[in-house]
Amino acid sequence: MTENNQNKIEKSNILSWKKVTLDKILQSNDIIPENFRGKISLDPDKDFVLNSQIGKNLENICPTNAISYKTDPESISLNVGKCIFCGNCQQETPGLIKISNNFDMAKKRKSQLLEIFPESIPFGKTYEEIGNELKNKINKTFGRSLAIREIDAGSCNGCEIEISALTNPIYDIEQFGMHFVASPRHADLLLVTGPASKNMEKALKIAYDSTPEPKLVIAVGACACSGGIFGKNYATTGGIDSIVPVDVFIPGCPPRPQALIYGIMMALNKIRS
Amino acid sequence: MNNEITERYLSKLEQLEFKFKLHVQNNNEIYIELEDSSKLIEFCNVLKLEINLRLLTMIYCDERKTNHKFSLRYLFGSDTDDVFFFVVIFIDKKHAYFPSLSDVFPSSIKYEREINDMFGIQTQGDTTLKPLLLHDFQKNIFPLRKDFHANTELNYTPRKFEFTPITGEGICEIPVGPIHAGIIEPGHFRFSVLGENIVNMETRLGYTHKGIEKIAESMSINDAVFLSERISGDESIANSMAFCQAIEKITQLEIPEKAKQIRLLFAELERIYNHFGTLSGILNDIGFSYGASRLEILKEYMMQLNEKLSGSRLLFGVNQIGGVKVDISNTALANIHSMLDSIFQNFEKILEHIQSNSSVIDRLRNTGIIEKQTVNDLGIVGLSSICTGIDTDTRKIHPYGHYSSINFEQTPRVNMEQQVKLQKRIGDVLSRFMSRVDELRYSKKLIESISNLETGKINIPFESILTPFSSGLGYAESHRGETLHWIMIGEDNSIFRYKIRTASFANWPIIEHAVLNNIVSDFPVINKSFDFSYSGNDL
Repeated sequence: MTENNQNKIEKSNILSWKKVTLDKILQSNDIIPENFRGKISLDPDKDFVLNSQIGKNLENICPTNAISYKTDPESISLNVGKCIFCGNCQQETPGLIKISNNFDMAKKRKSQLLEIFPESIPFGKTYEEIGNELKNKINKTFGRSLAIREIDAGSCNGCEIEISALTNPIYDIEQFGMHFVASPRHADLLLVTGPASKNMEKALKIAYDSTPEPKLVIAVGACACSGGIFGKNYATTGGIDSIVPVDVFIPGCPPRPQALIYGIMMALNKIRS
Repeated sequence: MNNEITERYLSKLEQLEFKFKLHVQNNNEIYIELEDSSKLIEFCNVLKLEINLRLLTMIYCDERKTNHKFSLRYLFGSDTDDVFFFVVIFIDKKHAYFPSLSDVFPSSIKYEREINDMFGIQTQGDTTLKPLLLHDFQKNIFPLRKDFHANTELNYTPRKFEFTPITGEGICEIPVGPIHAGIIEPGHFRFSVLGENIVNMETRLGYTHKGIEKIAESMSINDAVFLSERISGDESIANSMAFCQAIEKITQLEIPEKAKQIRLLFAELERIYNHFGTLSGILNDIGFSYGASRLEILKEYMMQLNEKLSGSRLLFGVNQIGGVKVDISNTALANIHSMLDSIFQNFEKILEHIQSNSSVIDRLRNTGIIEKQTVNDLGIVGLSSICTGIDTDTRKIHPYGHYSSINFEQTPRVNMEQQVKLQKRIGDVLSRFMSRVDELRYSKKLIESISNLETGKINIPFESILTPFSSGLGYAESHRGETLHWIMIGEDNSIFRYKIRTASFANWPIIEHAVLNNIVSDFPVINKSFDFSYSGNDL
């Protein structure tokens, strides 16, 4: 390969070189030598078995501590962001670590630079991943902003605490294009909590009617889904779906902020289909 | 020790010129049954003036099946000693009315309205009581009577609620609610304003009424613990602790020392995260969003700590009858200490920024002033009363659990009392802000006082069969103030009557006085500085 390349250079006139365009780089691999140490990943062979000897050796051999070995449960992790591509680890355990000459290693988030073997039980998506997915959907469906109105229909204020936690600097849902509005007339989506007490029935109906179409309603928490511990009694209606049509139910007592934005995403899926 | 105090009060009572039957139960509960119930008002006046008692709550009970009568227990408490007084009167089911105490204790009006709603029993001669909890219900529905079933289907029948009309040249009304602009609970406020100044404000609550007291009567005792946690989501530890302690008092169950320590830890952790939230809310309402956001972060850290320790961000599912469900190891305790250290270091820095910002202090000072006399008359408890120098800290006056082994001589509340005496604090929003800050530091001290957890079990099984119609009073200090739960056991370990008096129920009336002569736009910050729970009020 290398010889070929050199030949090409000798043959061609520098002025007549074609421009190196972006799609050309991605298409043709031929100017990258095979022994280039590029993409590094944990890709174990079928018969590979991890033991503490291998793990500790790898940990010692890595000059930047990009590899770390953990017992209980036994696992090895590789932080690609720390790697200086010395290739020591591949020499040590070719059965586990593979280095190719690819260079498509860029990741949008730092957390994605970390690889773990054996992969732990998938934790699901992180808060930011769900949030960004949601942001894309909001961009398409609601023109870059989703206005939310929260209505308490008799909750114990546990759900309110979690909903207001969404606006704190840690969860900060405004980064995903959502914001809470002061009136149902400005809202696209209603987050309703509580077992729908009889005393709030009328107010909830009025709020629903004054929300402009297209509108979504999410029942937040066990109480809003079914009445929860209060059930259906003389003072409650046993779930807000007995008063207004509900698009998505988010269970939990109370549901945590991650669960709330996951539920909001479900609601948006519904409106697109 | 308790018995000495009780004896002292018993001898005081015997000197009075009234005829009554006395009996003491659960160490600190004195039951007084007047022989001549027509002298009730006179007697209560004597209790107020000579023994310095204040009205804590009124417990109505439908005992028609066993006694052929309704019973009414007036609960009084002292501000200095660990003793409770129940003055019991019985009301014939034919003459269904009782004397009003409102001349002696103005705070009784709210309880009388509640009884009128839930039992349909009116005060003598007064037929103008406004409904409190039931809005558009059919007439003659009295949910807490025994012949009413919790699952009865009721039709929607609009009832008219008349707000007190305020008339005069230039006065107009602003209705607000029940759905508010922020992420808060529902309630209706009717402002009468002259220009920008509030001349009168009337609250109408009850929107989150869920029938908690009624459905508890159909639950087993162990299930009712979960119900008590959901009286007000952010007071879950305080309420479930009061409930568990009431049952433990009735069964005379002594819980392990370690369980007591863990209960204290969680109670103080709950207080800390809620106070951070309220301080942040106050700053948010005056437009200082920098401070508000910084404190929100601390609140979130505290909630994450809660979750790590108990599995619930709001500390649900910690308490159980006979102890706690969540164990804390000594390493976890060390983690709590170090985490709190770093959080409070951060907090003190933020506080410096806040206190050196004159625009913040200007908005807080002289806003929403309440008078000591009003606080006394309305029976206000907790942080809303300490900002005028009245100390009603249940942890100190009626020590329970592990609090009884803590030395309360150096409390921040005494500090506030002195500040009030020196007129540095005048019952405004700033003094409530600062008393919350003191509370926060004090909670940290209380947690630090536990340096080592006892070894042993964290709970003992609750299996005993309770005597029917025995009763007990559980109490705890939530971050809002004194929380009282009175339970009467029915047949087969059921709950016959579960009366809940949260601090919010006692404290709501003060807001109508605090907003007078303030401008409408200051209402949110005044409201937030009290930090009432709507759900804890409406039940």
